[in-house]
Amino acid sequence: MSEISTPARMSPLDRLRGALSRVSQAATAGIRVADIDTRLLGMLVALVIIWVGFNIVSGGAFLTARNLWNLSVQSASIAIMATGMVLVIVSRNIDLSVGSLLGFLGYTMAMIQIFWIPDGLGVGLEQPYTWILTVLAGLLLGAVVGGLQGFVTAYGGVPSFIVTLGGLLVWRGLIFSYADGQTLAPMDSTYRLLGGGPTGSIGEWPSWIVGIIGCVVILLSLWFSRRRKRRYGFPMRPIWAEAALAIVLCGAVLGAVWVSNAYPWPANLAAQYAEDHGITPPPGGLIIPTGIAIPVLIMIVVTIVMSYIATRRRFGRNVFAMGGNPEAARLGGINTRRTLMLVFGLMGVLCAVSAAIQTARLNAAVTGLGVQNELDVISAAVIGGTSFSGGIGSIPGAVLGAVVMQSLRSGMLLLHVEAPTQDIVVGIVLVAAVGLDALLRRRRG
Amino acid sequence: MVAEQIPSTEPSRGVPLAAMDNIRVSFGGVHAVDGVHIDVHEGEIVGLVGGNGAGKSTLMKVLAGAQPADSGEIRIDGRPVTINSPRDAKAYGIECIYQTLALADNLDAPANVFLGRELVNGVGTLDDAAMESATRKVMQRLNPRFKNFKAAVMSLSGGQRQSVAIGRAVHFNARLLIMDEPTAALGPAETAQVRELIKQLKDDGLGIFLISHDIHDVFDLSDRIGVMYHGKIVDIVEKDKVTPDDVLAMIILGKKPEEASSEELAELQI
Amino acid sequence: MRIPRLAALGAVVTIVLAACTPGSSATSSASAGGSTGGTADCTVAVSWNNYQEERWALRDEPNIKAALEEVGAQYISADAGSSEEQQATDIENLLSQGADVLIILAQNTETILPSVQAAVDQGVPVIGYDRLIESEDALYVSFDNVRVGEMQAEAVLEQVSEGNFVIIKGNGADANSDFLRQGYVNAGVPAEGESSDTITIVGETYTDNWDPALAQTEMEQFLTENDNNVDAVLSENDGMAGGVVAALEAQGLAGQVPVSGQDGDIAALNRVALGTQTVDVWKDARELGRAAGEAAAQLCGNPDIAAVADTTTFDSPGGNTLTSILLDPIAITQDNLDVVLDADWITPEDLCQGVEAGSVAACP
Repeated sequence: MSEISTPARMSPLDRLRGALSRVSQAATAGIRVADIDTRLLGMLVALVIIWVGFNIVSGGAFLTARNLWNLSVQSASIAIMATGMVLVIVSRNIDLSVGSLLGFLGYTMAMIQIFWIPDGLGVGLEQPYTWILTVLAGLLLGAVVGGLQGFVTAYGGVPSFIVTLGGLLVWRGLIFSYADGQTLAPMDSTYRLLGGGPTGSIGEWPSWIVGIIGCVVILLSLWFSRRRKRRYGFPMRPIWAEAALAIVLCGAVLGAVWVSNAYPWPANLAAQYAEDHGITPPPGGLIIPTGIAIPVLIMIVVTIVMSYIATRRRFGRNVFAMGGNPEAARLGGINTRRTLMLVFGLMGVLCAVSAAIQTARLNAAVTGLGVQNELDVISAAVIGGTSFSGGIGSIPGAVLGAVVMQSLRSGMLLLHVEAPTQDIVVGIVLVAAVGLDALLRRRRG
Repeated sequence: MVAEQIPSTEPSRGVPLAAMDNIRVSFGGVHAVDGVHIDVHEGEIVGLVGGNGAGKSTLMKVLAGAQPADSGEIRIDGRPVTINSPRDAKAYGIECIYQTLALADNLDAPANVFLGRELVNGVGTLDDAAMESATRKVMQRLNPRFKNFKAAVMSLSGGQRQSVAIGRAVHFNARLLIMDEPTAALGPAETAQVRELIKQLKDDGLGIFLISHDIHDVFDLSDRIGVMYHGKIVDIVEKDKVTPDDVLAMIILGKKPEEASSEELAELQI
Repeated sequence: MRIPRLAALGAVVTIVLAACTPGSSATSSASAGGSTGGTADCTVAVSWNNYQEERWALRDEPNIKAALEEVGAQYISADAGSSEEQQATDIENLLSQGADVLIILAQNTETILPSVQAAVDQGVPVIGYDRLIESEDALYVSFDNVRVGEMQAEAVLEQVSEGNFVIIKGNGADANSDFLRQGYVNAGVPAEGESSDTITIVGETYTDNWDPALAQTEMEQFLTENDNNVDAVLSENDGMAGGVVAALEAQGLAGQVPVSGQDGDIAALNRVALGTQTVDVWKDARELGRAAGEAAAQLCGNPDIAAVADTTTFDSPGGNTLTSILLDPIAITQDNLDVVLDADWITPEDLCQGVEAGSVAACP
């Protein structure tokens, strides 16, 4: 079609290019003035492109409230572990054991609620306190086992790659010391709420309340940050940027709540609910908004807490310092060994949280629980901008990374892409994302 | 009271701020530091010179808590103290500026100044604003042109990085400063600036150990000069009583000028 | 500095000791039985492809061992951890340890062939256990897996004979996945990519490693895509059926949509009693273990597989005519749960947990 390209035909294109580059320059300048994390913004843009792309190819099946709700639940477990993996990788270590550890902890928690509490204490199944005892014991065991790996790494001088590679084999193998590895099911009915599903969600008004609290917190933190900057006479964002940021962030939070409420309970469950509560369903059936799923709520809380720990606590600051320059951290008086042990202990706790979610969701503990999750968790952290050279990483980035990975997986499932092809795509995306990041970082720095 | 009974190398000037006695450090049979005595008073700069591997840096790392000594005693204000970690040393007001600067390159200037001693508010949250404010204050004094308080220090110039490292040492009201090659990585203008700063700190009453390869630096700044050779102190001399050539001879020969043969001295003149 | 290092060493030792607790040892075990005839110093080796699944340790292995003990043969084994390469290495090791008969649970029906050839070349007879090995030199001891597929489909079709079907298959590299799928076709379910007048396949996929959690996600996506218009699910085993039922439960569809499975997992039989799983095709692994053990004992005396008692021939998908011992599976539904109870496969408590008393005959 265009063997000959004359200057006259090129010029509109050139003009368009010029306009585009001016727009992008203006946008870049705006972002710089507004003091926004550009790589997080880049990931959000990539995620939007993936979502819209899948939506077009699947004929509108992707961007439905139900699919987005599914996606959020399916991402939760990996995202939660990825927040811990960020700190592990930032400290110049790696944890290959998370999948096996998750399996071991999930299996142990199943043993606790199915055998140890009912038979050991002789109180029987389905006690109101079963779930909380189970979860607390799981968290404690996670901290101990993770801390043990950290202890061997930090005080024993064995590289974490080796320690956790050993852990990968040991924790998976230990599952078979319980009941020869038979499938354990069903779980305690209260415990199962941790896995989500319409009954494992908080419902319409609580979701709005969570959203409004989120908005208030966002506004307050922007305001406090601004006030502090003014008090110390530091440079501040222009007021328009501050307002725009507040609107965008609040809009995102309330939008997410709206989507979660736009997914109604499945007709059968709603009908059952109506029957149980003596409600006469209106024609067309009772519409019960589902709201935020409990595992997603847990993921949000974990993300906030881990971000706070990573950026606003001495512990997190020390982990980043260790990753940037271990010798400087030691000379600065940081107890690097204890800090490292705590990093792995924290990773173990997060594995326990994810183990509870996965077993509750599947309503069973199986020996293959969490197999190869370490790859997804490490990938999520790395796609989210965590650098293997240490000292660089972001918790929200890792959560976004997990959502990106799960979006690719479930989108391809919607398109009936077979598993091996999915692996190829995810593998390429992983390498491309890190490659692009390295390229941008070189150009910037 | 106890302090008065402890002998000082310079009784006329009273109890030294810090004294190291009979310090030994060996690495697998090699004596890096071999029975060294040295001290420093308030408001005094003691230069430490010697060839590569003479033991200067190792000796100072012992005082900074970064390297455990095999034996020996450290006294602060005449009282024997135990220094097992950098944290211990800092508690005694001993700060060290390492040749490598020991900066966490991925963090910004305030985070580096407060590395390991972060300021927190009542609930244990980092008070970044207070740390930045304090850093701005200390940098105003050290390097008024320093503006990059939000950038990771890896993106800063050599002189700016040096001032962050110095800022870390002086912010915490150090009494004793150890500077290991503070000007090695700097250009002429920055070197002059750091020299001014060192003099100013001395006038503020700090005791300073200054390790340098640059004999002119040492002569310009020091009150006394300690020469090390193969882990031992050759001599500690008053700057005014020696010439740079005398010191050079000690560095190279490992002997005091009066102990050296005329042949050895003659060879050096060539 | 010394003490923490010692303590760290102690921690390592603790891990190692923990790993050595009873129940996880699967490497070697000598038989205590007496000796009879030429089998007294016979060594029978088993190469497991992946010992880390519920049934092998619990059901298969004890019965193989028991059959061998009766004739005083030795039992040795190795676990390949789902790796083809590891299994080839394992078999070399087992042969060099002096195995006289080799029982192989193949990870891969094709790549196992060189190992089988190596054994046969050394005069060691091979039993292909549970999973097909495409070699006429190996004795195939298994349940009829095509028949398992037929039984699953028949039980589901009895409940729902038309509408939208979802098919959750197992690992793509496992020949059983396709045998089962063939059984579905034999029973009247359309082949992949086809549809009949009455049945539309709205979702079909292989599932890596037969992973239940993955099956759950797959089922969620099929339900989402079809707006819950799914009338029946053919899941090839119990683990994945668990994931499918969890996904159906989240939509309030559990118990309304028929679901198949196989293996006789405790949790799955409980689901059958609860009514959330329609059928569990039960292959009594103890029978299979015993059959293989007895065949191995016979091969100790005479390494000719054609001389083993009660064999039939099986025409494999690869065009081979295999000497086989094929056991018949049993389809367990709510109507015949007493079978698994009578066989002491499951306790009444486990079977009936959460089941309303009297809702099924087996849970009075």
